[in-house]
Amino acid sequence: MTRRTLSLIGISLAVVGASVMARTSPAAGTITGTVKAPGQTNNADAVVYVEHAAGPFAPSGPIVMDQRSMKFVPHVLTVLLGTTVKFTNSDTVSHNVFSPDNEKYQLGTWPPGASKDHVFAKCAKFPCVYAQLCMIHPEMEGFVVVLQNPHVATTDATGQFKIEGVPTGTYQVAVWHPKMKGQPKPVTVEAGKPATVDFTLGR
Amino acid sequence: MTVPGPSCLRRLATLALTASLAVLFVPASATAVPAFARKYQTSCQTCHVVFPKLNAFGEAFRLRGYRMPAETEEMVKQKPVSLGAPAYKRLWPKAVWPGELPGNLPLAVNVKFANVNASTLNPDGTVTSIRNDFQFPQEANIFAAGTLGDHVSFFSEMTFAENPDGSVAVELEHARLDIDSPFGREDMFHFRIGKMAPNLAGGFQEMWISTDAPIDSVFSYNPIGVNGGTGLVVDATPAPVALPASVRGIEAYGIVKHRMLWVGGVVNGISPGPNGRFDGNNAKDLYARLDYKFGGMGFDGDTGGKAPPAENWRDNSLRVGAFVYRGNGTNINFASTDVQGDPLNIQDLHFLRVGFYASVYFQDLNVFGAYLHGTDQLQLLDPTSNEGLGLVQADSRAWFVQADYVFYPWLQGSGRYETVTPADPAAAIVKRGVATLNALIRANVKAMVEYQRDLNEGQNHSLNLLVRFAF
Repeated sequence: MTRRTLSLIGISLAVVGASVMARTSPAAGTITGTVKAPGQTNNADAVVYVEHAAGPFAPSGPIVMDQRSMKFVPHVLTVLLGTTVKFTNSDTVSHNVFSPDNEKYQLGTWPPGASKDHVFAKCAKFPCVYAQLCMIHPEMEGFVVVLQNPHVATTDATGQFKIEGVPTGTYQVAVWHPKMKGQPKPVTVEAGKPATVDFTLGR
Repeated sequence: MTVPGPSCLRRLATLALTASLAVLFVPASATAVPAFARKYQTSCQTCHVVFPKLNAFGEAFRLRGYRMPAETEEMVKQKPVSLGAPAYKRLWPKAVWPGELPGNLPLAVNVKFANVNASTLNPDGTVTSIRNDFQFPQEANIFAAGTLGDHVSFFSEMTFAENPDGSVAVELEHARLDIDSPFGREDMFHFRIGKMAPNLAGGFQEMWISTDAPIDSVFSYNPIGVNGGTGLVVDATPAPVALPASVRGIEAYGIVKHRMLWVGGVVNGISPGPNGRFDGNNAKDLYARLDYKFGGMGFDGDTGGKAPPAENWRDNSLRVGAFVYRGNGTNINFASTDVQGDPLNIQDLHFLRVGFYASVYFQDLNVFGAYLHGTDQLQLLDPTSNEGLGLVQADSRAWFVQADYVFYPWLQGSGRYETVTPADPAAAIVKRGVATLNALIRANVKAMVEYQRDLNEGQNHSLNLLVRFAF
């Protein structure tokens, strides 16, 4: 089989694949953009999310927030309401997890290699943000952000984000940041067309 | 025992003048803190015209508790060590309020070399002449300064001055903890505790000085003719009753609407006392200052939306201020003698220092000065029986004016005239002139040439060549 023949087969498969994707999610689009956090070291850890989308949305299996190198990893974890978060300990020292926010919880202290689960089952008003703290190491801080729907993305250091698979329609897209604030913006998602929205955060 | 009036202090004044000449060339305490340059990875000239003289931005940085105007996280290049996640604030009082440590040990060193050339007229009419005395080094200072998270900052300075015999005099010149903007609008209220240069002096003496010689007329001369006559009273015990350049106490200050600076303080006052106590008596001294600035950059660094000049030593503005210091020296004896030479104790029951201050910046020129009026109520006492021998009202005044001109960013000239009119009308009025040329070899290395002259006695003068560097 010649190289040209292989290329033609590849192109054909790509076209078929694209048409299959279009058929399986005929009314979904993408929201992309950038979040700027002026004055911060970088633009990471901003959570960009669709404020409300038609559901229901079932949470997937346990999602891990690790304690590694004396840090919560990831620093910001987004979950659907009802999600179980497994707090693991990959360090060589014991850790503790508690949160002073919303209904508050204290999961206790556990040794390296162990873990504890917590279900984020309540949220009076989305997003529900839970600071994750360790009583043994007060400098450690992470965040669990509980949302109504799965249309969410967290920015990288450059501030870029991409929310895929958003059903067509008009939404309010909001942003949450550990230290700064931003105003929601309306975004219209059209099938197969990326919608763009940018945020500049303030104090 | 004869009750001495002002004239009885004349002889003391003569003796004191002799003593004063011996210390005529005492250097000023002045600070430049490269620890901040490291923290922000910025040049000394961000805050200083010619170190240690602050520009308007540096003054805002100082007043804001060593934080830049509108400081953001990305400005701080040496990341601090967290002592608690911010969320712990919500747990207080059930948790320790979160704070920070500087990312690196915030130490800095200043070193000064001096080639001293001085001429001094002695009481017996002879002249002591010093030529090319290499005082290498004359002084070294170790600073520690920085912030401890939100609302807390600190500043300390240890000075090592080498004596001719090789011994070293060590002094903790500053050790201060500041609580910055703990409540209310930012910069409306700060308070600080410790041994410090009060913001009476923190302005024109401590951080703005461009000369090696301190402003003795206001901060070092004893104007009332006791325990040193009209002379310099450096190292006198108890400490003198000039406007203090250093205090132990608590000070509050704040900035109102960018333009007004208020200061109030409670301090020990004349010290030390007997039996190892720091304060000379149980009374506290009080002081206050109020400044207003027209034009230029606000005290908090506010520019009103206008771009500041590229020449960051320029700050076209007028700053005016008034200050008052009220002291109580009851039960603190200054040993003296009457006209017969018999021992005599003097207590400065109440003393008041009232003054005003102004500073004008126009392009490359900065002219500033202060006037100080002193009123002292002196109680004369028999040292044996402690019987009161009378009261003397002592009025004095002092003032200085200084001009600094930036010829080039690396070259600044300064000239100062200062005078003291002592309480004793028979005592000579002190007049002194200082001329200084500062040349920055690098932003943190400077050479100085300074000429000082006693304008009453031409044989008292000095010409010093100095090198200072900070790292």
